[in-house]
Amino acid sequence: MTPESATVEWVAVAPLAELQRRKKKQVEVAGRAIALFLVGDRVFAFDDTCVHKGRSLSRGSLWKGKVVCPGHQWTFDPETGRADDQDDCQPVHDVLVVDGVVHVDPRPRQIS
Amino acid sequence: MSPTPATVVAVGAGQATVSAVRMLRRRGFGGRLVVLGEERHAPYQRPPLSKEYLRGDADLDDVTILDESWCGTNDVELLLGTRAERISADGAGHRVHLAGGAELVADSVLVATGVRSRRLPGVEGDRMVHLRDLDDADRLRTLLPGAERIAVIGAGLIGSEVAASARDLGVEVTCLEAADLPLLRQLGPEMAQVYADLHRENGVDLRFGRQVESVDQTASGVVVRTASGEVVEADLLVVAVGAVPNDEFARASGLPIDPMAGGVLVDAECRTAVAGVFAAGDIASRFDTATGRHVRVEHSDNASRQGAVVARALLGLPQPAEDPAWFWSDQYELGLQFVGHAGPDSTVVVRGSVDDRDFTAFYLREGRVHAAFAMDRGGDVTAARELISRGTPVAEAALADEDTDLLDLLDTVDA
Repeated sequence: MTPESATVEWVAVAPLAELQRRKKKQVEVAGRAIALFLVGDRVFAFDDTCVHKGRSLSRGSLWKGKVVCPGHQWTFDPETGRADDQDDCQPVHDVLVVDGVVHVDPRPRQIS
Repeated sequence: MSPTPATVVAVGAGQATVSAVRMLRRRGFGGRLVVLGEERHAPYQRPPLSKEYLRGDADLDDVTILDESWCGTNDVELLLGTRAERISADGAGHRVHLAGGAELVADSVLVATGVRSRRLPGVEGDRMVHLRDLDDADRLRTLLPGAERIAVIGAGLIGSEVAASARDLGVEVTCLEAADLPLLRQLGPEMAQVYADLHRENGVDLRFGRQVESVDQTASGVVVRTASGEVVEADLLVVAVGAVPNDEFARASGLPIDPMAGGVLVDAECRTAVAGVFAAGDIASRFDTATGRHVRVEHSDNASRQGAVVARALLGLPQPAEDPAWFWSDQYELGLQFVGHAGPDSTVVVRGSVDDRDFTAFYLREGRVHAAFAMDRGGDVTAARELISRGTPVAEAALADEDTDLLDLLDTVDA
Protein backbone atom coordinates (compact mmCIF):
# COMPACT_ATOMS: atom_id res chain seq x y z
CA MET A 1 0.00 0.00 0.00
CA THR A 2 1.18 3.46 -0.77
CA PRO A 3 1.23 6.00 2.05
CA GLU A 4 -1.73 7.75 0.44
CA SER A 5 -3.97 4.72 0.34
CA ALA A 6 -3.03 3.92 3.92
CA THR A 7 -4.96 7.02 4.97
CA VAL A 8 -8.11 5.99 3.10
CA GLU A 9 -11.16 5.68 5.33
CA TRP A 10 -12.88 2.77 3.66
CA VAL A 11 -16.65 2.74 4.02
CA ALA A 12 -18.51 -0.57 3.85
CA VAL A 13 -21.37 -0.10 1.38
CA ALA A 14 -22.84 -3.46 0.35
CA PRO A 15 -22.32 -7.22 0.43
CA LEU A 16 -20.70 -8.39 -2.80
CA ALA A 17 -23.53 -10.90 -3.20
CA GLU A 18 -25.96 -8.02 -3.85
CA LEU A 19 -24.09 -7.23 -7.05
CA GLN A 20 -24.10 -10.75 -8.43
CA ARG A 21 -27.47 -10.71 -10.15
CA ARG A 22 -27.95 -7.22 -11.61
CA LYS A 23 -24.21 -6.44 -11.71
CA LYS A 24 -24.93 -2.90 -10.50
CA LYS A 25 -26.21 -1.11 -7.44
CA GLN A 26 -26.62 2.41 -6.17
CA VAL A 27 -25.30 3.13 -2.68
CA GLU A 28 -24.89 6.32 -0.68
CA VAL A 29 -21.68 7.33 1.03
CA ALA A 30 -21.52 10.51 3.08
CA GLY A 31 -24.51 11.96 1.23
CA ARG A 32 -23.02 11.14 -2.16
CA ALA A 33 -24.71 8.68 -4.53
CA ILE A 34 -22.27 6.11 -5.80
CA ALA A 35 -22.85 3.48 -8.49
CA LEU A 36 -21.23 0.08 -8.05
CA PHE A 37 -20.61 -2.18 -11.04
CA LEU A 38 -19.45 -5.78 -11.15
CA VAL A 39 -17.38 -6.36 -14.27
CA GLY A 40 -16.09 -9.92 -14.44
CA ASP A 41 -15.00 -10.51 -10.84
CA ARG A 42 -14.00 -6.90 -10.14
CA VAL A 43 -16.06 -4.19 -8.52
CA PHE A 44 -15.84 -0.60 -9.72
CA ALA A 45 -17.37 2.54 -8.20
CA PHE A 46 -18.40 5.75 -9.98
CA ASP A 47 -20.14 8.86 -8.84
CA ASP A 48 -23.71 7.92 -9.73
CA THR A 49 -24.53 11.27 -11.35
CA CYS A 50 -23.33 11.26 -14.96
CA VAL A 51 -20.92 14.09 -15.88
CA HIS A 52 -22.81 14.59 -19.11
CA LYS A 53 -26.42 15.40 -18.15
CA GLY A 54 -26.78 14.22 -14.59
CA ARG A 55 -28.61 10.94 -15.19
CA SER A 56 -28.16 8.08 -12.74
CA LEU A 57 -25.50 5.66 -13.98
CA SER A 58 -26.75 2.86 -11.75
CA ARG A 59 -29.88 2.84 -13.95
CA GLY A 60 -27.65 2.22 -16.95
CA SER A 61 -26.16 -0.98 -18.22
CA LEU A 62 -22.89 -2.82 -18.58
CA TRP A 63 -21.87 -3.76 -22.06
CA LYS A 64 -18.59 -5.28 -23.24
CA GLY A 65 -16.90 -4.27 -20.02
CA LYS A 66 -18.06 -0.64 -20.27
CA VAL A 67 -20.54 1.30 -18.16
CA VAL A 68 -23.32 2.69 -20.38
CA CYS A 69 -25.23 5.77 -19.17
CA PRO A 70 -29.01 5.47 -19.57
CA GLY A 71 -29.29 9.18 -20.41
CA HIS A 72 -27.58 9.44 -23.79
CA GLN A 73 -25.70 6.11 -24.06
CA TRP A 74 -22.28 7.54 -23.27
CA THR A 75 -19.89 4.70 -22.46
CA PHE A 76 -17.28 4.87 -19.72
CA ASP A 77 -14.17 2.87 -18.93
CA PRO A 78 -14.83 1.39 -15.47
CA GLU A 79 -11.16 1.67 -14.49
CA THR A 80 -10.57 5.34 -15.34
CA GLY A 81 -14.06 6.81 -15.77
CA ARG A 82 -12.99 8.16 -19.16
CA ALA A 83 -15.89 8.56 -21.60
CA ASP A 84 -15.38 7.04 -25.06
CA ASP A 85 -15.04 9.67 -27.81
CA GLN A 86 -15.59 12.53 -25.34
CA ASP A 87 -13.34 14.84 -23.37
CA ASP A 88 -15.17 14.19 -20.11
CA CYS A 89 -14.28 11.88 -17.27
CA GLN A 90 -16.63 10.43 -14.65
CA PRO A 91 -15.28 10.58 -11.05
CA VAL A 92 -14.22 7.10 -9.91
CA HIS A 93 -13.73 5.78 -6.40
CA ASP A 94 -11.30 3.15 -5.20
CA VAL A 95 -12.89 -0.10 -4.12
CA LEU A 96 -11.76 -2.76 -1.68
CA VAL A 97 -13.59 -6.04 -1.15
CA VAL A 98 -12.96 -7.56 2.28
CA ASP A 99 -14.65 -10.78 3.40
CA GLY A 100 -17.39 -10.44 0.79
CA VAL A 101 -18.16 -6.82 1.67
CA VAL A 102 -17.62 -3.98 -0.81
CA HIS A 103 -15.83 -0.96 0.66
CA VAL A 104 -15.52 2.39 -1.13
CA ASP A 105 -13.24 5.37 -0.71
CA PRO A 106 -15.67 8.27 -0.31
CA ARG A 107 -13.26 10.63 -2.02
CA PRO A 108 -13.00 10.34 -5.80
CA ARG A 109 -9.64 9.23 -7.10
CA GLN A 110 -7.45 11.93 -8.60
CA ILE A 111 -6.70 10.99 -12.20
CA SER A 112 -3.41 12.36 -13.36
CA MET B 1 -6.32 1.79 -51.42
CA SER B 2 -5.74 5.48 -52.05
CA PRO B 3 -3.08 7.18 -49.93
CA THR B 4 -4.08 9.29 -46.92
CA PRO B 5 -4.88 12.81 -48.15
CA ALA B 6 -2.65 15.74 -47.27
CA THR B 7 -5.43 18.32 -46.98
CA VAL B 8 -9.03 17.80 -45.94
CA VAL B 9 -11.53 20.66 -46.16
CA ALA B 10 -14.88 20.30 -44.39
CA VAL B 11 -17.71 22.45 -45.71
CA GLY B 12 -20.11 23.00 -42.82
CA ALA B 13 -19.25 23.09 -39.12
CA GLY B 14 -21.90 20.93 -37.48
CA GLN B 15 -21.92 17.58 -35.74
CA ALA B 16 -20.75 15.47 -38.71
CA THR B 17 -17.73 17.69 -39.35
CA VAL B 18 -16.79 17.86 -35.70
CA SER B 19 -17.00 14.10 -35.35
CA ALA B 20 -14.84 13.60 -38.46
CA VAL B 21 -12.25 16.18 -37.44
CA ARG B 22 -11.93 14.88 -33.90
CA MET B 23 -11.54 11.31 -35.05
CA LEU B 24 -9.02 12.25 -37.73
CA ARG B 25 -6.79 13.96 -35.19
CA ARG B 26 -7.37 11.29 -32.53
CA ARG B 27 -6.30 8.60 -34.98
CA GLY B 28 -3.16 10.50 -35.90
CA PHE B 29 -4.08 12.24 -39.16
CA GLY B 30 -1.16 14.60 -39.75
CA GLY B 31 -2.40 16.54 -42.76
CA ARG B 32 -3.97 19.97 -43.03
CA LEU B 33 -7.52 20.25 -41.69
CA VAL B 34 -9.74 23.18 -42.57
CA VAL B 35 -13.30 23.67 -41.30
CA LEU B 36 -15.53 26.20 -43.07
CA GLY B 37 -18.48 27.43 -41.04
CA GLU B 38 -21.01 29.85 -42.42
CA GLU B 39 -22.21 30.94 -38.99
CA ARG B 40 -20.04 33.17 -36.82
CA HIS B 41 -20.28 30.72 -33.90
CA ALA B 42 -17.75 28.00 -33.19
CA PRO B 43 -19.28 24.54 -33.84
CA TYR B 44 -22.05 23.73 -31.39
CA GLN B 45 -24.55 20.98 -30.67
CA ARG B 46 -28.07 21.53 -31.93
CA PRO B 47 -30.07 19.13 -29.72
CA PRO B 48 -29.89 21.37 -26.60
CA LEU B 49 -31.24 24.37 -28.54
CA SER B 50 -34.83 23.20 -28.06
CA LYS B 51 -34.20 21.88 -24.55
CA GLU B 52 -31.69 22.92 -21.86
CA TYR B 53 -30.24 25.84 -23.83
CA LEU B 54 -33.71 27.17 -24.58
CA ARG B 55 -34.72 26.89 -20.91
CA GLY B 56 -31.58 28.72 -19.85
CA ASP B 57 -30.14 25.65 -18.12
CA ALA B 58 -27.15 25.51 -20.46
CA ASP B 59 -24.99 28.24 -21.95
CA LEU B 60 -22.88 28.69 -25.04
CA ASP B 61 -19.89 26.97 -23.40
CA ASP B 62 -22.00 23.91 -22.62
CA VAL B 63 -23.15 23.47 -26.20
CA THR B 64 -19.88 24.35 -27.96
CA ILE B 65 -18.23 21.20 -29.31
CA LEU B 66 -15.13 22.50 -31.06
CA ASP B 67 -13.69 25.61 -29.52
CA GLU B 68 -10.82 27.73 -30.70
CA SER B 69 -8.44 26.47 -28.07
CA TRP B 70 -9.01 22.84 -29.15
CA CYS B 71 -8.51 23.88 -32.75
CA GLY B 72 -5.30 25.66 -31.81
CA THR B 73 -3.92 22.69 -29.90
CA ASN B 74 -4.93 20.26 -32.64
CA ASP B 75 -3.93 22.43 -35.58
CA VAL B 76 -7.39 22.71 -37.11
CA GLU B 77 -8.09 25.85 -39.17
CA LEU B 78 -11.54 27.02 -38.21
CA LEU B 79 -12.80 29.62 -40.68
CA LEU B 80 -16.09 31.01 -39.37
CA GLY B 81 -18.43 33.38 -41.17
CA THR B 82 -17.15 31.76 -44.35
CA ARG B 83 -19.43 30.55 -47.10
CA ALA B 84 -18.21 27.99 -49.59
CA GLU B 85 -19.86 28.11 -52.99
CA ARG B 86 -18.70 25.10 -54.94
CA ILE B 87 -15.93 22.66 -55.74
CA SER B 88 -14.13 22.43 -59.04
CA ALA B 89 -11.58 19.86 -60.18
CA ASP B 90 -7.94 20.74 -59.62
CA GLY B 91 -5.70 18.08 -61.11
CA ALA B 92 -6.24 14.97 -59.00
CA GLY B 93 -7.64 17.12 -56.20
CA HIS B 94 -10.26 19.79 -55.69
CA ARG B 95 -10.54 23.51 -55.48
CA VAL B 96 -13.03 24.88 -52.97
CA HIS B 97 -14.38 28.28 -54.00
CA LEU B 98 -15.36 30.64 -51.21
CA ALA B 99 -17.77 33.56 -51.39
CA GLY B 100 -15.66 36.63 -52.06
CA GLY B 101 -13.36 34.81 -54.46
CA ALA B 102 -10.83 33.07 -52.22
CA GLU B 103 -9.97 29.43 -52.99
CA LEU B 104 -8.65 26.46 -51.08
CA VAL B 105 -6.96 23.44 -52.61
CA ALA B 106 -7.90 20.11 -51.06
CA ASP B 107 -7.26 16.43 -51.66
CA SER B 108 -10.51 15.52 -49.96
CA VAL B 109 -13.65 17.50 -49.22
CA LEU B 110 -16.36 16.68 -46.71
CA VAL B 111 -19.73 18.20 -47.61
CA ALA B 112 -21.66 18.57 -44.35
CA THR B 113 -23.88 21.53 -45.06
CA GLY B 114 -26.86 20.19 -43.10
CA VAL B 115 -30.45 21.31 -43.43
CA ARG B 116 -32.46 24.43 -42.67
CA SER B 117 -35.96 24.91 -41.31
CA ARG B 118 -38.79 24.52 -43.76
CA ARG B 119 -40.59 27.86 -43.97
CA LEU B 120 -44.31 28.37 -44.21
CA PRO B 121 -44.93 30.88 -46.99
CA GLY B 122 -45.55 34.37 -45.69
CA VAL B 123 -44.70 33.48 -42.09
CA GLU B 124 -42.12 36.11 -41.20
CA GLY B 125 -42.08 38.50 -38.28
CA ASP B 126 -40.32 39.44 -35.07
CA ARG B 127 -42.75 37.30 -33.05
CA MET B 128 -42.27 34.24 -35.23
CA VAL B 129 -39.36 31.83 -34.86
CA HIS B 130 -38.14 28.94 -36.99
CA LEU B 131 -35.77 27.10 -34.65
CA ARG B 132 -32.64 25.69 -36.24
CA ASP B 133 -29.52 27.72 -35.50
CA LEU B 134 -28.01 29.17 -32.37
CA ASP B 135 -29.17 32.65 -33.44
CA ASP B 136 -32.75 31.35 -33.69
CA ALA B 137 -32.41 29.76 -30.25
CA ASP B 138 -31.01 32.98 -28.77
CA ARG B 139 -33.97 34.93 -30.14
CA LEU B 140 -36.48 32.40 -28.82
CA ARG B 141 -34.72 32.19 -25.47
CA THR B 142 -35.00 35.97 -25.11
CA LEU B 143 -38.68 36.08 -26.11
CA LEU B 144 -39.96 32.94 -24.37
CA PRO B 145 -39.81 33.93 -20.67
CA GLY B 146 -41.76 37.11 -21.44
CA ALA B 147 -44.55 35.24 -23.22
CA GLU B 148 -47.74 34.11 -21.51
CA ARG B 149 -48.86 31.87 -24.33
CA ILE B 150 -47.11 30.55 -27.40
CA ALA B 151 -48.39 28.72 -30.44
CA VAL B 152 -46.33 25.95 -31.99
CA ILE B 153 -46.99 24.66 -35.50
CA GLY B 154 -45.79 21.06 -35.78
CA ALA B 155 -45.61 18.40 -33.06
CA GLY B 156 -42.52 16.64 -34.34
CA LEU B 157 -39.43 16.35 -32.16
CA ILE B 158 -38.46 20.02 -32.29
CA GLY B 159 -42.02 21.32 -31.94
CA SER B 160 -42.77 19.07 -28.99
CA GLU B 161 -39.43 19.78 -27.33
CA VAL B 162 -40.09 23.51 -27.58
CA ALA B 163 -43.55 22.88 -26.13
CA ALA B 164 -42.05 20.92 -23.23
CA SER B 165 -39.40 23.57 -22.55
CA ALA B 166 -42.05 26.31 -22.61
CA ARG B 167 -44.21 24.36 -20.14
CA ASP B 168 -41.16 23.96 -17.88
CA LEU B 169 -40.89 27.76 -17.92
CA GLY B 170 -44.58 28.11 -17.03
CA VAL B 171 -45.62 29.33 -20.48
CA GLU B 172 -48.99 28.21 -21.93
CA VAL B 173 -48.68 26.26 -25.18
CA THR B 174 -51.08 25.53 -28.01
CA CYS B 175 -49.59 23.08 -30.49
CA LEU B 176 -51.14 22.50 -33.92
CA GLU B 177 -50.25 19.33 -35.78
CA ALA B 178 -51.40 18.34 -39.27
CA ALA B 179 -51.28 14.57 -38.65
CA ASP B 180 -53.62 12.58 -36.40
CA LEU B 181 -50.93 11.96 -33.77
CA PRO B 182 -47.41 13.24 -33.09
CA LEU B 183 -44.43 11.23 -34.39
CA LEU B 184 -46.88 8.70 -35.76
CA ARG B 185 -44.53 7.27 -38.37
CA GLN B 186 -41.63 6.96 -35.90
CA LEU B 187 -43.54 5.65 -32.88
CA GLY B 188 -46.54 3.82 -34.36
CA PRO B 189 -50.13 4.56 -33.22
CA GLU B 190 -49.97 3.05 -29.72
CA MET B 191 -46.85 4.87 -28.53
CA ALA B 192 -47.68 8.07 -30.44
CA GLN B 193 -50.82 8.16 -28.29
CA VAL B 194 -48.72 7.73 -25.13
CA TYR B 195 -46.49 10.55 -26.36
CA ALA B 196 -49.51 12.79 -26.98
CA ASP B 197 -50.87 11.97 -23.51
CA LEU B 198 -47.54 12.92 -21.95
CA HIS B 199 -47.75 16.39 -23.48
CA ARG B 200 -51.39 16.86 -22.58
CA GLU B 201 -50.76 15.83 -18.99
CA ASN B 202 -48.09 18.49 -18.84
CA GLY B 203 -50.54 21.11 -19.96
CA VAL B 204 -49.90 21.39 -23.69
CA ASP B 205 -53.08 22.15 -25.64
CA LEU B 206 -52.30 19.68 -28.41
CA ARG B 207 -54.60 19.74 -31.46
CA PHE B 208 -54.35 17.24 -34.29
CA GLY B 209 -55.49 17.19 -37.90
CA ARG B 210 -55.04 20.97 -38.11
CA GLN B 211 -54.12 22.63 -41.38
CA VAL B 212 -52.79 26.14 -40.91
CA GLU B 213 -54.60 28.55 -43.21
CA SER B 214 -52.98 31.86 -42.26
CA VAL B 215 -50.64 33.48 -39.78
CA ASP B 216 -50.78 37.17 -38.96
CA GLN B 217 -48.74 39.31 -36.64
CA THR B 218 -50.77 41.87 -34.71
CA ALA B 219 -49.77 44.71 -32.40
CA SER B 220 -49.89 42.40 -29.41
CA GLY B 221 -48.92 39.02 -30.82
CA VAL B 222 -49.71 36.43 -33.42
CA VAL B 223 -52.98 35.04 -34.76
CA VAL B 224 -53.06 31.62 -36.39
CA ARG B 225 -56.13 30.50 -38.35
CA THR B 226 -56.72 26.89 -39.33
CA ALA B 227 -58.51 25.60 -42.41
CA SER B 228 -61.56 24.75 -40.29
CA GLY B 229 -61.82 28.35 -39.10
CA GLU B 230 -60.29 27.90 -35.66
CA VAL B 231 -58.41 30.95 -34.31
CA VAL B 232 -55.39 30.62 -32.01
CA GLU B 233 -53.96 33.76 -30.46
CA ALA B 234 -50.53 33.80 -28.87
CA ASP B 235 -47.70 36.15 -27.91
CA LEU B 236 -45.23 34.19 -29.98
CA LEU B 237 -45.25 31.59 -32.75
CA VAL B 238 -42.75 28.79 -33.25
CA VAL B 239 -42.84 27.03 -36.61
CA ALA B 240 -41.42 23.50 -36.56
CA VAL B 241 -42.58 21.84 -39.76
CA GLY B 242 -39.46 19.97 -40.77
CA ALA B 243 -36.32 20.82 -42.64
CA VAL B 244 -34.95 21.01 -46.17
CA PRO B 245 -31.40 20.16 -47.25
CA ASN B 246 -28.85 22.92 -47.75
CA ASP B 247 -27.91 21.50 -51.13
CA GLU B 248 -26.80 24.63 -53.00
CA PHE B 249 -23.11 23.84 -52.54
CA ALA B 250 -23.58 20.24 -53.66
CA ARG B 251 -25.65 21.24 -56.70
CA ALA B 252 -23.20 23.94 -57.74
CA SER B 253 -20.45 21.33 -57.44
CA GLY B 254 -22.29 18.89 -59.67
CA LEU B 255 -22.77 16.23 -56.99
CA PRO B 256 -25.67 13.84 -57.69
CA ILE B 257 -28.73 14.58 -55.54
CA ASP B 258 -31.26 12.04 -54.25
CA PRO B 259 -34.43 12.78 -56.25
CA MET B 260 -36.65 11.29 -53.54
CA ALA B 261 -35.27 12.24 -50.12
CA GLY B 262 -33.11 15.15 -51.26
CA GLY B 263 -29.53 15.47 -50.14
CA VAL B 264 -26.30 14.20 -51.66
CA LEU B 265 -26.19 10.57 -52.77
CA VAL B 266 -23.36 8.70 -51.08
CA ASP B 267 -22.29 5.07 -50.76
CA ALA B 268 -22.05 3.20 -47.44
CA GLU B 269 -18.69 4.91 -46.75
CA CYS B 270 -20.20 8.35 -47.40
CA ARG B 271 -18.40 8.79 -50.74
CA THR B 272 -20.14 10.88 -53.36
CA ALA B 273 -19.87 10.12 -57.09
CA VAL B 274 -16.82 12.43 -57.22
CA ALA B 275 -13.60 10.78 -56.02
CA GLY B 276 -12.29 12.35 -52.81
CA VAL B 277 -15.56 14.13 -52.04
CA PHE B 278 -17.63 12.86 -49.12
CA ALA B 279 -20.95 13.91 -47.63
CA ALA B 280 -22.18 13.21 -44.10
CA GLY B 281 -24.92 14.14 -41.67
CA ASP B 282 -28.35 15.59 -42.46
CA ILE B 283 -27.30 16.44 -46.04
CA ALA B 284 -26.22 12.89 -46.92
CA SER B 285 -28.54 10.32 -48.47
CA ARG B 286 -26.52 7.24 -47.72
CA PHE B 287 -26.70 3.77 -49.19
CA ASP B 288 -27.92 1.31 -46.57
CA THR B 289 -26.40 -2.09 -47.29
CA ALA B 290 -29.08 -3.90 -45.24
CA THR B 291 -32.01 -2.65 -47.33
CA GLY B 292 -30.25 -1.72 -50.56
CA ARG B 293 -31.79 1.76 -50.41
CA HIS B 294 -30.55 5.28 -49.81
CA VAL B 295 -31.62 6.83 -46.51
CA ARG B 296 -31.32 10.41 -45.32
CA VAL B 297 -31.57 10.89 -41.56
CA GLU B 298 -31.81 14.15 -39.61
CA HIS B 299 -30.53 13.15 -36.17
CA SER B 300 -27.44 14.16 -34.29
CA ASP B 301 -26.25 10.61 -33.61
CA ASN B 302 -26.46 9.79 -37.30
CA ALA B 303 -24.31 12.83 -38.09
CA SER B 304 -21.72 11.80 -35.49
CA ARG B 305 -21.53 8.28 -36.83
CA GLN B 306 -21.27 9.36 -40.45
CA GLY B 307 -18.54 11.84 -39.55
CA ALA B 308 -16.65 8.93 -38.00
CA VAL B 309 -17.28 6.80 -41.11
CA VAL B 310 -15.71 9.53 -43.26
CA ALA B 311 -12.70 9.82 -40.94
CA ARG B 312 -12.08 6.07 -41.09
CA ALA B 313 -12.53 6.03 -44.86
CA LEU B 314 -9.97 8.83 -45.23
CA LEU B 315 -7.51 6.97 -43.03
CA GLY B 316 -8.13 3.61 -44.69
CA LEU B 317 -9.35 2.11 -41.41
CA PRO B 318 -11.91 -0.72 -41.32
CA GLN B 319 -15.50 0.29 -40.62
CA PRO B 320 -17.14 -1.37 -37.62
CA ALA B 321 -20.53 -3.06 -37.88
CA GLU B 322 -23.35 -0.57 -38.02
CA ASP B 323 -25.59 -0.13 -34.95
CA PRO B 324 -29.32 0.38 -35.56
CA ALA B 325 -30.51 3.99 -35.84
CA TRP B 326 -30.92 5.73 -32.50
CA PHE B 327 -32.24 9.08 -31.34
CA TRP B 328 -33.15 10.61 -28.04
CA SER B 329 -35.22 13.47 -26.71
CA ASP B 330 -35.33 14.83 -23.17
CA GLN B 331 -38.75 16.20 -22.20
CA TYR B 332 -40.29 17.03 -18.81
CA GLU B 333 -37.35 15.48 -16.94
CA LEU B 334 -37.90 12.25 -18.88
CA GLY B 335 -35.29 10.69 -21.09
CA LEU B 336 -36.92 9.37 -24.27
CA GLN B 337 -34.93 7.14 -26.61
CA PHE B 338 -35.78 5.31 -29.78
CA VAL B 339 -33.71 2.66 -31.48
CA GLY B 340 -34.42 0.88 -34.78
CA HIS B 341 -37.40 1.46 -37.10
CA ALA B 342 -40.96 0.86 -35.95
CA GLY B 343 -42.45 0.18 -39.38
CA PRO B 344 -46.07 -0.84 -39.89
CA ASP B 345 -47.75 -3.94 -38.45
CA SER B 346 -45.63 -4.32 -35.35
CA THR B 347 -46.70 -5.99 -32.15
CA VAL B 348 -45.84 -3.70 -29.25
CA VAL B 349 -44.74 -5.35 -26.01
CA VAL B 350 -44.36 -3.11 -22.96
CA ARG B 351 -41.85 -3.74 -20.19
CA GLY B 352 -42.48 -1.57 -17.15
CA SER B 353 -45.28 0.89 -16.53
CA VAL B 354 -46.75 3.26 -19.12
CA ASP B 355 -48.74 5.04 -16.41
CA ASP B 356 -45.62 5.70 -14.37
CA ARG B 357 -43.77 6.91 -17.47
CA ASP B 358 -41.14 4.28 -16.81
CA PHE B 359 -41.13 1.67 -19.55
CA THR B 360 -39.62 0.30 -22.72
CA ALA B 361 -41.91 -0.61 -25.63
CA PHE B 362 -40.49 -3.28 -27.91
CA TYR B 363 -41.71 -3.47 -31.51
CA LEU B 364 -41.81 -7.04 -32.79
CA ARG B 365 -42.45 -8.72 -36.09
CA GLU B 366 -42.26 -12.49 -36.47
CA GLY B 367 -40.96 -12.87 -32.95
CA ARG B 368 -38.01 -10.54 -33.41
CA VAL B 369 -37.42 -7.06 -32.04
CA HIS B 370 -36.84 -4.42 -34.69
CA ALA B 371 -37.35 -1.25 -32.66
CA ALA B 372 -37.71 -0.05 -29.09
CA PHE B 373 -39.01 3.13 -27.47
CA ALA B 374 -37.68 3.72 -23.96
CA MET B 375 -39.29 6.26 -21.66
CA ASP B 376 -36.87 6.96 -18.82
CA ARG B 377 -35.47 3.46 -19.42
CA GLY B 378 -32.20 4.20 -21.17
CA GLY B 379 -30.73 1.21 -19.37
CA ASP B 380 -32.73 -1.08 -21.66
CA VAL B 381 -31.38 0.49 -24.83
CA THR B 382 -28.12 -1.46 -24.93
CA ALA B 383 -29.97 -4.78 -24.87
CA ALA B 384 -32.62 -3.52 -27.31
CA ARG B 385 -29.95 -2.45 -29.77
CA GLU B 386 -28.28 -5.86 -29.60
CA LEU B 387 -31.58 -7.72 -29.94
CA ILE B 388 -32.32 -5.66 -33.05
CA SER B 389 -28.94 -6.05 -34.71
CA ARG B 390 -28.71 -9.78 -34.01
CA GLY B 391 -32.33 -10.51 -34.91
CA THR B 392 -32.52 -12.81 -31.91
CA PRO B 393 -35.89 -14.61 -31.61
CA VAL B 394 -37.49 -13.63 -28.30
CA ALA B 395 -40.62 -14.56 -26.35
CA GLU B 396 -42.98 -11.64 -25.73
CA ALA B 397 -43.48 -12.77 -22.14
CA ALA B 398 -39.75 -12.67 -21.45
CA LEU B 399 -39.47 -9.11 -22.78
CA ALA B 400 -42.36 -7.98 -20.59
CA ASP B 401 -41.05 -9.76 -17.49
CA GLU B 402 -39.02 -7.35 -15.37
CA ASP B 403 -37.31 -10.27 -13.67
CA THR B 404 -35.76 -11.37 -16.94
CA ASP B 405 -32.44 -9.68 -17.61
CA LEU B 406 -32.71 -8.45 -21.20
CA LEU B 407 -29.08 -9.21 -21.85
CA ASP B 408 -29.80 -12.85 -21.01
CA LEU B 409 -32.11 -12.96 -24.02
CA LEU B 410 -29.22 -12.53 -26.42
CA ASP B 411 -27.84 -15.63 -28.10
CA THR B 412 -24.38 -15.18 -26.74
CA VAL B 413 -23.93 -13.26 -23.56
CA ASP B 414 -20.68 -11.40 -23.82
CA ALA B 415 -21.47 -8.49 -21.52
